[in-house]
Amino acid sequence: MLTRTPFRRATNRPARRQIIPALATLAVSALALTACTAPAASTEGPEFSDWAAVHEAAQGQTVKLWMWGGDDQGNAYVDDVLAPAAAEQGVTLERVPIADTKDALNRVFTELQAGRTTDGAVDLVWINGDNFRTGKQANAWLCDWTGLLPNMSAVSETDPLLTKDFGTPVDGCEAPWHKAQFSFVYNSATVPNPPTTIEGILDWAEANPGRFTYPAAPDFTGSAFLREVLYSVSGGHENVPSLYSDEAFAELSPALYERLDQLAPSLWRDGTTYPATSEQLTKLYADGEIDMMMTYGPATLTALVENGTLPETTRVLTVDDGTLGNASFFGIPSISGNIAGAMVVANEALSVEQQLAKADPAVWGQFTVLDVDALSAADRALFDALPRSPVVPSFDVLSRNANPELSAEWVPALDDGWRTRIAARQ
Amino acid sequence: MTVLQPRPRRRRLRATLLVLPALIPVVIVVIGGVGTTVVQSLGLMPLVGSPALSVAAFEGSDDLLGSALLSLGIAVVSTAIAAVVGFFTAVLIISGNWGGRIVGALGAAAVTVPHLVGAASVGLLLSDSGVLARLLGVAPEAWPALVAGPTWFAVIAEYAWKESAFVALIIVGTLATRITSYDETAAVLGAHRSARLRLVLFPLAAPSLLVASTIAFAYTLGSYEVAWLLGKTYPEPLSVMALRLFNSASLTARPEAAAVAVITLLLTGAIIAVAMLGIRRMRAWQ
Repeated sequence: MLTRTPFRRATNRPARRQIIPALATLAVSALALTACTAPAASTEGPEFSDWAAVHEAAQGQTVKLWMWGGDDQGNAYVDDVLAPAAAEQGVTLERVPIADTKDALNRVFTELQAGRTTDGAVDLVWINGDNFRTGKQANAWLCDWTGLLPNMSAVSETDPLLTKDFGTPVDGCEAPWHKAQFSFVYNSATVPNPPTTIEGILDWAEANPGRFTYPAAPDFTGSAFLREVLYSVSGGHENVPSLYSDEAFAELSPALYERLDQLAPSLWRDGTTYPATSEQLTKLYADGEIDMMMTYGPATLTALVENGTLPETTRVLTVDDGTLGNASFFGIPSISGNIAGAMVVANEALSVEQQLAKADPAVWGQFTVLDVDALSAADRALFDALPRSPVVPSFDVLSRNANPELSAEWVPALDDGWRTRIAARQ
Repeated sequence: MTVLQPRPRRRRLRATLLVLPALIPVVIVVIGGVGTTVVQSLGLMPLVGSPALSVAAFEGSDDLLGSALLSLGIAVVSTAIAAVVGFFTAVLIISGNWGGRIVGALGAAAVTVPHLVGAASVGLLLSDSGVLARLLGVAPEAWPALVAGPTWFAVIAEYAWKESAFVALIIVGTLATRITSYDETAAVLGAHRSARLRLVLFPLAAPSLLVASTIAFAYTLGSYEVAWLLGKTYPEPLSVMALRLFNSASLTARPEAAAVAVITLLLTGAIIAVAMLGIRRMRAWQ
């Protein structure tokens, strides 16, 4: 007869005998995990001699493009227009939607910290500003590669928007994709006489309590609004040094925070809380809770008005003191396993056909980075023939008196100051 | 009587091997995840520069105490509501009538909804110009600030709703097999409904109620998405603070984010320890 031993805990066993192997396991695992400190990442340029070599190496590669997924038109453009064009070049383009560009950067950083040096999960990122600068500081980007792209010849070499990204020299570490202009947006039905300056907008907000707000920094749009107001209270962008210094911050920021502090009681919910993202701001405007909002991507407005999300009377407000302009780019992490494929995609995105398709308000409405005046007459005519949006003025009008972006070091300093000075007031 | 037993050493080896599949993931998550966080919070894993032991990350923020109190407040209130509602829901489900079955099905369905989806739904329902305000015909200005308001109403409501379903299902799981005989015996001996609830149902359910509440509490303290979506800009709970710092553009903020996570972990650990001590003293557990 067989008896089974009942499943029960063994008693009277010396506890030491169980603890020692357990401790050993802990120690070994801890050692194994902490031993992989971040290696020095290489930022050497790719080893390709010419474009033909890149093109050949790219065949059959799958490029994962990490980009902010909150813009349906942008997603549709990449999936339906850019991806098929990349496929013709022999590269499969996969879009990875993310909630914030920082998620892609963090993924790269985490892989670097874990000691990964090849075949990272991110091949291409839609990026600019402080994310680019932070990545550059951490040597996360591949550099000196944009010179290889044949389509870079149609991009002006001296365009300040494209040679520096928020004050950080681009140095061939990212390829331009499109230009953007910070825009204030208002409902012409409820704001019949819109203000014409930034200070005018703040005065209007105070005269109409509860009808204006801005996203909480560090949201990208909210943070840009802080810089707009900083320029305004400093008497124009000329008075704010582009390069960050503690002295300049100490001298100029108090006026900004005093103005915003004074404005706060007149904001939506009396300034006790702020929308966390620009999407939440857009929702407040769409629901008619506020009459004015702002965006760094006016491209999306046309479609939002057409599909009824925003009121038909929505208009872009052009201000006399001008607004911030920037360009956004494609960056390739140095640990990507599909560098050649990523370069082919970045080059394809710079072609006249792609830039033109992307500039159509019905597709995405993003402003081109190409030097349109230097294009052939036929290509220039194509850009001139683009349909006009009833909501968004042309780039020439929108970018009149455009203000340069501050260097990226300003951004976290202004954001942190806003948290302690404005968000914490109550 | 023939006893076929493997020799002790082989038996021990087999037991170890059987445990390994469960042990390895736990070791990787606990040692790997928590260990990396602790190492990072102490400045030993910088993105740039050389590692140097420092506790500077723990001293970085003045808001830490306020955030910790806020996190604890949200977790305590929502867990308390979830425990009370969950317990009575479980009693209703166990009663076995058709109403209980419907509630049981609803509870099971609620558990499967991810918190992120729950938070988005609560936001759509309760915000100034949300579904509820529109159904009732209340203007956005007149609607109370339930979402992103000073009371954190929407955040607490979301956690309380989701976790009460979780608590109820855990209690039903432990009570269902043993309750009938005890309950009927008490009824036969003349115990009224309230007496049975107080003297039979509650003591039997108490250990699982405490365990489920502890799990719900630990989850609420650690999760960020609900508070981020439905909460106020300032002050922010620890989890939201950790996420914001982790995503910050400045490279020095990562150790600070890790430090906030370590503090959250210590808080959660302390609460779990207290709950475990409490559970050992319960009669029904012994």
